[in-house]
Amino acid sequence: MSRRDFPAFRYLFPSFLFVCLFSLYPISESFRLSFYRLILMLPWLGQRFVGWENYHDLLTDSVALSSLVTTLTFVAVTAPVEVILGLCMALVLNASFRGRGWLRAIVLIPWAIPTVVSSQMWRFIFNDRYGLVNFFLFGDRTDLYIAPLADPSLAPVTIMIADIWKTSSFAALIILAGLQTIPGELYEAASVDGAGSWQRFRHITLPLIKPALLLALLFRTIDALRVFDLVFVMTQGGPADATNVLQFYGYKKSFGEGMIGYGSAIAVMVFVISLLLSLLYIRLIGTRVLQKVDQG
Amino acid sequence: MPVSVVKHPPRRRKDQRVKQYQKTASLSLRLLAAWLFIFFPPLSLAAENQLHFVTWRPDPPWIWDRAVADFEARNPGVKIVREVGPQSSSAFHDLVTQKLKNRDPRMDVFFMDVIWPAEFASAGWALPLDRFFPPAEREQFLIAPISANTYEKEIYGVPVFVDAGMLYYRKDLLSKYGFAPPGTWPELVRQAKIILAKENDPHLVGYSGQFKQYEGLVCNMMEFVLSNGGSLWNEQELKASLHSSKAKDAVRFVRDHIIGDISQRGVLAYQEPDSLALFTQGRALFHRNWPYAWEAAGDARRSKVAGRVGIAALPVFPGGSKVATLGGWQLGISRFSRKPELAWKFISFMTDREMQKRIALVTGRAPARKALYQDTEILKKNPQFKSQFDTFVQAVPRPRTPVYVPLSNIMQRYFSSAIAIPDSNIDQLARRAARDMDRVLDLLRGREAS
Repeated sequence: MSRRDFPAFRYLFPSFLFVCLFSLYPISESFRLSFYRLILMLPWLGQRFVGWENYHDLLTDSVALSSLVTTLTFVAVTAPVEVILGLCMALVLNASFRGRGWLRAIVLIPWAIPTVVSSQMWRFIFNDRYGLVNFFLFGDRTDLYIAPLADPSLAPVTIMIADIWKTSSFAALIILAGLQTIPGELYEAASVDGAGSWQRFRHITLPLIKPALLLALLFRTIDALRVFDLVFVMTQGGPADATNVLQFYGYKKSFGEGMIGYGSAIAVMVFVISLLLSLLYIRLIGTRVLQKVDQG
Repeated sequence: MPVSVVKHPPRRRKDQRVKQYQKTASLSLRLLAAWLFIFFPPLSLAAENQLHFVTWRPDPPWIWDRAVADFEARNPGVKIVREVGPQSSSAFHDLVTQKLKNRDPRMDVFFMDVIWPAEFASAGWALPLDRFFPPAEREQFLIAPISANTYEKEIYGVPVFVDAGMLYYRKDLLSKYGFAPPGTWPELVRQAKIILAKENDPHLVGYSGQFKQYEGLVCNMMEFVLSNGGSLWNEQELKASLHSSKAKDAVRFVRDHIIGDISQRGVLAYQEPDSLALFTQGRALFHRNWPYAWEAAGDARRSKVAGRVGIAALPVFPGGSKVATLGGWQLGISRFSRKPELAWKFISFMTDREMQKRIALVTGRAPARKALYQDTEILKKNPQFKSQFDTFVQAVPRPRTPVYVPLSNIMQRYFSSAIAIPDSNIDQLARRAARDMDRVLDLLRGREAS
């Protein structure tokens, strides 16, 4: 450490300590435990080092693999949709009109409601007897009412809708911040040159908010990979395991079944997938796009 | 600013740097102290005459308020601190096991579902109660919950009330078409089809039970499987048996006739409250639930069918024997409690005759003490307890094992996949479930080997 770095280190130290305590320690502990066989209710088995056995089991566990597919499908659908919706919302919120401040606050409400509460709300909305969805679709033709939460092909869709409703506004917030950094002169100059509104959007707005879009996509991807509370409240992984996402499966293994080693292996797998995706995104944001912005 | 230039000359001496390090260290130490202060309240708080009771919210909630107040009045200076956990059994399990795993001394007395004592005993989390709860005292209770609370000859919990699966039916509709309560499952389906066709009411379904992928699904499906002469697993041989043809036939019957024929797909997302609401709204002909539903279905303020409800033992398959899944809740003491004597005092108060009677009268839950099935006041309020006494005595516990939760998760997955998909491949699903269960059951063999 050079002398010049010293004050920087001093200022960073508290947050470094915080990260150590709440991120590095739990992550390394999960790594360690994932190499052991530790089953809480069978204490006579002890805590035995088993090497890669948990990971080997994980790769041959058909339930884990199908929950990996469920999770990745969830991510692949929700993250892009949320960013696109968020972009639309941000464009509206960035325009100047009366009551904009209020609208900006209102748009954030879904994101501010605790997920447990909104999941309960969506459970009611999708109810097969008195749910709003059925009412809007079929009115008083109650014999046609469907039960989305009871249908293995529809249940994952209900979870996705609940997630999109809840977190699109978070994406909007990030994109809005990106929009606000674009200087107005660019648009003026483009208008003078005769660019239409689509051309201005396509050639000015979109390239300049690309980092913000990618950042929103990154946050939503990582968050969607860790989806848990929606499933916990709405479906408990059912019906027929159709909504059994990885984090919920890992939770059941660690906390319900007491299989600490195997549960840790699942947690590590989620961590590694998130890490790889983050690195990919950061590469995209950090080099190519940011350079473009600098040049622009 | 010139001042700061004077204070921080570009070339620093070594002792100044050491000072900076010290400052940083002292700052982080202070942060650590603050963190400890916030997250670890002094343990002396727990050392007072307080008893921590982890429970769920009963219906009606005031029954615990009164019980706790009475106990505190009888034991001056003692304070019961209640921690209210989630209503769902699985979520409550995760909360309690989390505290036990952390050896939390701030949980003395806790509720246990009837399927947990073996697990808690095996993990060394529940205190054996033999010195407090001698065999002579245990004889006052129904045998089924006592054996569910016993693990390797020691007892770990005192039953507060018992549950057993019951069949509720619409008395008015059955008598309108001249039917007696069905004795067999095919008869139940036949009656439901005729009544549904003749009533021609789009709101009415034939059967409502608990078929969501959760613990209740195992209770419901076990009743079908066992009443067809099947079983879930062999407890002696530690081998899964839900892939036997009798067990699979019962599952197939549920898929094709209960879900696919007389019920509606919505029940695949139902737990107890949703399925009960369907029945009390007058929208279900038959309903499977625990005894407490009698109180709810008969209360005119909460039920549209009050006075038109009948109750019977669950049907069987032709040639099968009657099966009701045993449920119910017990009180146990944490091994990490520092006040087991006081904890026992509270448990014996909560499970004495007077309190069980009060709980039975107010909540409609079936008492665990045998003598109360002769009590005139209880029988007046719950006349069905007399005729259902045999059901409670014969109720079948879910197999007792420390690895119940992993086995149950496998069964929930299997049953839900088998009945939620109309053309499910039950043979293949059952084989896979049996293979997964055998792997879990194999863990128990390790004990004999070591």
